Amino acid sequence: MCMTCGCGETGHDDRVTIAVRQNLLEENDRVAAHNRQHFDENRVLVLNLMSSPGSGKTSLLEATIRELTARGLAVAVIEGDLETENDAERIRRQGVPAVQITTGSACHLDARMVHHALDALALADLDVLFIENVGNLVCPAEFALGQHADVVLLSVTEGDDKPEKYPVMFRIADHVLLTKADLLPVLGDFDPDRARRAVADLSPGTPVSVLSAKTGEGMDAWLAWIDGRRAALPDAPPNAARHHHHHGQPHDHDHDHDHDHDHAHGHHHHR
Amino acid sequence: MHEASIVFGLMRILESQAAAHGVARIRRVNLKVGKLRAVEPQALAACFEAFAEGTAAEGAELHVEHVPARGDCEDCGAGFEVRGFRLICPSCGGRRVTLTGGQELSIESFEADTGTEEEDDPPCA
Repeated sequence: MCMTCGCGETGHDDRVTIAVRQNLLEENDRVAAHNRQHFDENRVLVLNLMSSPGSGKTSLLEATIRELTARGLAVAVIEGDLETENDAERIRRQGVPAVQITTGSACHLDARMVHHALDALALADLDVLFIENVGNLVCPAEFALGQHADVVLLSVTEGDDKPEKYPVMFRIADHVLLTKADLLPVLGDFDPDRARRAVADLSPGTPVSVLSAKTGEGMDAWLAWIDGRRAALPDAPPNAARHHHHHGQPHDHDHDHDHDHDHAHGHHHHR
Repeated sequence: MHEASIVFGLMRILESQAAAHGVARIRRVNLKVGKLRAVEPQALAACFEAFAEGTAAEGAELHVEHVPARGDCEDCGAGFEVRGFRLICPSCGGRRVTLTGGQELSIESFEADTGTEEEDDPPCA
């Protein structure tokens, strides 16, 4: 209380404490659960890719899309960047739909931005949707989008101690990819085993894979992991009315799916 | 600065709670932030000060209780404080650890003056 001017001294008799106990990210978590329902109803595997800027997310996506589409899978990408459509254009050159979200000053994607982007995608026709989050190893970790899994990239041009420096991000990862592995011989000071140990200390059991989108090293293991996650998707409920997002048809944002959103406390991350 | 998004969520909760309880002026807001969250307290406070301006929470004190990270070892049953994000049991070295604390990011309560204000408090210079 201010002792100088006495403000706030009035009304003390009426001071009440109101218990709230509410998660500050509840609104985002609610929309994320809603997104997740869209994904599950349409049996689309959704992977959230996070890393520092320049860790090779877009290059990994290009290589991954080539392989997945060659296997007959329908892929799309939601791109998050502060500015420009450059990354979305790179993805579209692979012949798959890409929706660019430009966040302006926001350092992360949130569930509402992703929900809005779904308006431009025909989820019913997709098998895998990648969300390329804003390049940032801190903020995106806090915002659930409805994804099935978080994939965190660490390029070998960064330090092998980065998991220790950014523990929140690496702790939530479901898969860590050590990218640009073709540069390992020339760099010499990045020890993949050290990065593995650092991830294991934060999150035992999280797979850590060495990968080069350029040479194709590690791509088979990465694609096999995607296959495994696809196989683990919940079965679409029988007779479930598929919930389409179509071009040109405004999505009804008032609808209520009437399922439990029990996200009151604790971390948003689902395993 | 994702703290801005977090405080935006806080302001929405405060506004609806203030309206529901007929609160005139919010004096103090009590948050719980776990050590495992990527939330910077100073950024949180700065955003709160800015967002609260012109609302019932203007000038309110933001009190953050930092909740230590805690885990239970599934191998030996020991409960312990998780330090440096290392999910390893200090008693037996086990790595099957269930987190029991440190992931909080919530508003617990707030303190407010009820009823109508007789006069507008001058801002504290």
